[in-house]
Amino acid sequence: MRSNRMGWRMLTPTLVILFIVGLLPFLYVLWVGFYDWNVFSAVRGMTWAGVNNYRRLVFDQDFLNSLGRTFQFTFIVVSVELVLGFLLAQTLVTPFRGRSFFRTIYVLPLVVAPIAVGATWRLLVIPGFGPVPYYLDRFFDYPFRIGTSATHAWLTLIVMDIWHWTPFVTLTLLAGLTALPKEPLEQALVDGANRWQVFRYLTIPMMMPVILTVVFIRFMDALRIVDEAFMLTNGGPGLSTRFVGLHIYRTVFPKTDYGYGSAMSLLVLYFTIVACWLLFIALTQVGKQRE
Amino acid sequence: MTTAPRKKTLNRIGLYVLWIGLTVFTVLPIYWMFVVSSRSRVQLFDAPTLLIKSFYIENYTTPLSSPAFQRYLTNSIIVATSNALLVTVLALLATYALSRWRLKGSDNIFFWTITNRMAPAAAFLLPLFLLYTRVFRIGDTSLFDTKIGLILVYCVFNLPFAIWLLQGIIDGIPKELDEAAYMDGATRSTVLWRIIVPLAAPGLAITFILSWIFAWNEYLFAATLTSVNARTITTGLAEFVTVTGTNWGQMAAVAIVTILPALIFLVFIQRYIVTGLTFGAVKE
Amino acid sequence: MRSQFWITLAVLLIATMVVGCVAPAVPAQLPAEPPTAEEAEPEAAAPAEEMNWWAEAAKAAGCVDTTIRGVSESTPPSTYAADVLAPAFTEETGIKVEHELTSWDQMYDKGIKDMEAGTGIYDYWYTEQDFIYAALANDYLTNISQLLEDNPELRYEGFDLSKFTTFIDNFKDPDTGDVYGVPMEAFIKINLYRKDLFEDADVQAAFNEQYGYDLAPATTFDQYRDNAEFFTKYAEENDMELWGTTVQAASGHVSSFYEVFETILPSFGVYNWGINMDNYKASEAEGGEMNSDRAKEALEFWVSMLEYAPPETTSSTWDEVAASFAAGRAAQGWIYGENAAWIATDPERSKVVGSVGVALPPVYEGVMEDAESGAGYIGYYDGGAFAMPHSSKNPLCSLLWLQYVGQEEVQPEWAVAGSRIVMDSTYDAPEVVEVDTITDGYFTMMEDQGYLFRGAPPFPFHAQVREVIAPFIWQAITGEMSAADAMDAAAAAADAELVNLGYGE
Repeated sequence: MRSNRMGWRMLTPTLVILFIVGLLPFLYVLWVGFYDWNVFSAVRGMTWAGVNNYRRLVFDQDFLNSLGRTFQFTFIVVSVELVLGFLLAQTLVTPFRGRSFFRTIYVLPLVVAPIAVGATWRLLVIPGFGPVPYYLDRFFDYPFRIGTSATHAWLTLIVMDIWHWTPFVTLTLLAGLTALPKEPLEQALVDGANRWQVFRYLTIPMMMPVILTVVFIRFMDALRIVDEAFMLTNGGPGLSTRFVGLHIYRTVFPKTDYGYGSAMSLLVLYFTIVACWLLFIALTQVGKQRE
Repeated sequence: MTTAPRKKTLNRIGLYVLWIGLTVFTVLPIYWMFVVSSRSRVQLFDAPTLLIKSFYIENYTTPLSSPAFQRYLTNSIIVATSNALLVTVLALLATYALSRWRLKGSDNIFFWTITNRMAPAAAFLLPLFLLYTRVFRIGDTSLFDTKIGLILVYCVFNLPFAIWLLQGIIDGIPKELDEAAYMDGATRSTVLWRIIVPLAAPGLAITFILSWIFAWNEYLFAATLTSVNARTITTGLAEFVTVTGTNWGQMAAVAIVTILPALIFLVFIQRYIVTGLTFGAVKE
Repeated sequence: MRSQFWITLAVLLIATMVVGCVAPAVPAQLPAEPPTAEEAEPEAAAPAEEMNWWAEAAKAAGCVDTTIRGVSESTPPSTYAADVLAPAFTEETGIKVEHELTSWDQMYDKGIKDMEAGTGIYDYWYTEQDFIYAALANDYLTNISQLLEDNPELRYEGFDLSKFTTFIDNFKDPDTGDVYGVPMEAFIKINLYRKDLFEDADVQAAFNEQYGYDLAPATTFDQYRDNAEFFTKYAEENDMELWGTTVQAASGHVSSFYEVFETILPSFGVYNWGINMDNYKASEAEGGEMNSDRAKEALEFWVSMLEYAPPETTSSTWDEVAASFAAGRAAQGWIYGENAAWIATDPERSKVVGSVGVALPPVYEGVMEDAESGAGYIGYYDGGAFAMPHSSKNPLCSLLWLQYVGQEEVQPEWAVAGSRIVMDSTYDAPEVVEVDTITDGYFTMMEDQGYLFRGAPPFPFHAQVREVIAPFIWQAITGEMSAADAMDAAAAAADAELVNLGYGE
């Protein structure tokens, strides 16, 4: 009765915009990636380089390290947030006085701009007048220096990310827990299962779709980290917090290495699509199993 | 008999201790920023305390009265609002199309949009910069440093988000309603505006607000694709940090101003934030 | 409750939509800015009858009511240009000046993007002395001499290139002598010390007792280390928030690279970043000096100073170092001269007003002789100029502004505000002489001993090589790498990058 033409017509603006800003740029750098092009090189303009940029990339230790660092960071924060979030969600399942008040305060960090989050935490930990190093120095004689110690910088970034995103994990899991059917759980308890068994063999499997959704979203978001690290450490001390996003930024702007930067951008996009695809498959598989 | 209630009381105390602690942990960083914004430069050299004894209002008035800062603020409002509006309307059309017509390859469209949303912004920086300065340009006019350019770019992550969020909502509106309306001779636009929009209104509002917040909070694109005419407040904040170097008080004040609008919106969408942030996958 | 929520939401939505609908209609335009007081009351401007050259020229060039835009780093000299000179210029000419003050990083980012893409956002731009060669090599800048020649009616009599100090030579094309930038700041990085501490009798006695010689501003690195060590201990014993030295050692920011390569290495006798200017090689094996023993010793010394520096030092970029000193947290330190004036005079921002001493930085044996003969230098003679991007859309209006800031009359007050001097005559202005006394003779030092310092080497690949070297300096700061390893790695990386860029094949 209704033609598909109409459907496509309604979809067109979306597709056009996403094509222009989402796909075209990559087709363009796919081309640039085959050239040597640094604005400040002795040879002006673009010179054909074949697959040289990609070959260099595979052996570029700095780039690979920044990728590894990003995955490491993502892995740490997502697992900590998942565990913490689950525990905290458990405490919120049964209503208690003041629950909604706590909840309201608790979601506050979710809407704070990442760049402001970085600024906030920088103010907390900057030696000289930040209260964290000041009081650690004063009462424990412990020098907390994000400018010197990679451990301290990482710790700050991780705590910051936990501060920023655990509320999201908690609330999402809470929503999942609240929606769980009560009867099977109660029945199992009556049948003599202990709390751990119920949790392990009933709650977790039933929660799997929600858990995977949270992991998927957090995982992809944590991989994107730039703003907070840029504000807090600017990739330092040394290169210890230079995540891949920061690394690309420094390569393409201060260093103006357009050719190599193009190859890098493409490769990172490719990795993301693969990661996204794998997680997406996992997610939909579990969803189907449940149905 | 007495142990059970006592255990319950203990649990309860533990619960409150935990949540009061968490509340403090949540609020403290922002509160500290507020404290810093109340101090003058010389005061900041003193030992840190959490008390606010006097308020150095210049930290707020100086940036707020500077034309550059005002422009950044206006730009942010314009860009975030236009983008959210554009995204909501386009996503409504798109999801309606995807929901009511069997379009070939619609699964692929969904997957493509989600990768757009999830891709690291950093990978887009150079491609978009080159495109904006070199390809999309007619004579002296290019998309670089324009609000239009920024509004379009924010579609990269907001449009997929909105489509995902609205998909469930539109799908949830029974097709029978449309069919009945068509039987009565309604046109497609009537169906869309009279039936779908009112029923999806709450979802559209959440989509709009969250898109608005995402656009408002965005930093990396704004930092690379604008220079001065279209600069937004988040980039302004980042500049303030490095510009003033030691002028932490002013920086903190700017940060407070930056997070304020989002916090105000939060009051309205607090209940729906889970649905929003999980793209509609989890409902509360 | 619920309905209330939706009503509020609807109101908000409508409000934002109205903004949104209006907004896209005027996207590219700037929001109109309220007219300043001067514009609102033209009568208030200078005696109108008098023939005003600036007003006439602006009219002739068709620039009245035009807005020119510039960007520079928010240093004291730039702030003065934006806050004082720009409004004064507007009043005289009717040309509006929008001067954007931003961070060093952003200034380059914005400027290079604009010139590279040819967007024409900026009509003038702050070019640092060390970037000028890259800018010239890429034809980023407008030839000011040429532009003046082509438009003789716009040449202001009071704009006389010969009045500038020799610093202006840095902004000339070596082949033609044409000028590409009007110097607006120049300074040297000096050894700033706390006079009140160094001249305290008890402190002096304690120092002499420990080290067996008299306390004084350091001239050698051994002495500098003794001073740093002494004050750090002294402060600890007396429970003071004070350390022995500043170190500009932000471990993720390029400022630490600059302190090493423009101040420490030259004063150890390693010039031009240790890059051989004949074949563009950095490593010793190929004729460079970046990983020579002396260069390694220099970095090692500098890193060892971290021990005597305030805790914030590894997060300190240029601004924070000056702030630490101003907060009275360091007894001595390498500080950019542009900060000397405010540290010594502004009680709003400084706790050490009136107790600032100025000395030449310490040097290695033989370096002073090198500097005096011209074979070497003891640090950068730093600074910048206002230059005009090739893409400027209002070159003639910008030309007027550049001449305006290049007048002799505006110099002295500017020097007082930003401790920068670009003209010989400025040194003798009474207000400058006065500040000179308060800052312990900073200007005198710059006038008499400025020749010991020198501008950056003429590298067109400045930022590119810096980006590959800097990480090794950061790793030396954190201790991940020894100073020697860092310099070896830096030299190798610099060589590789230079080949990449097509230099030193």
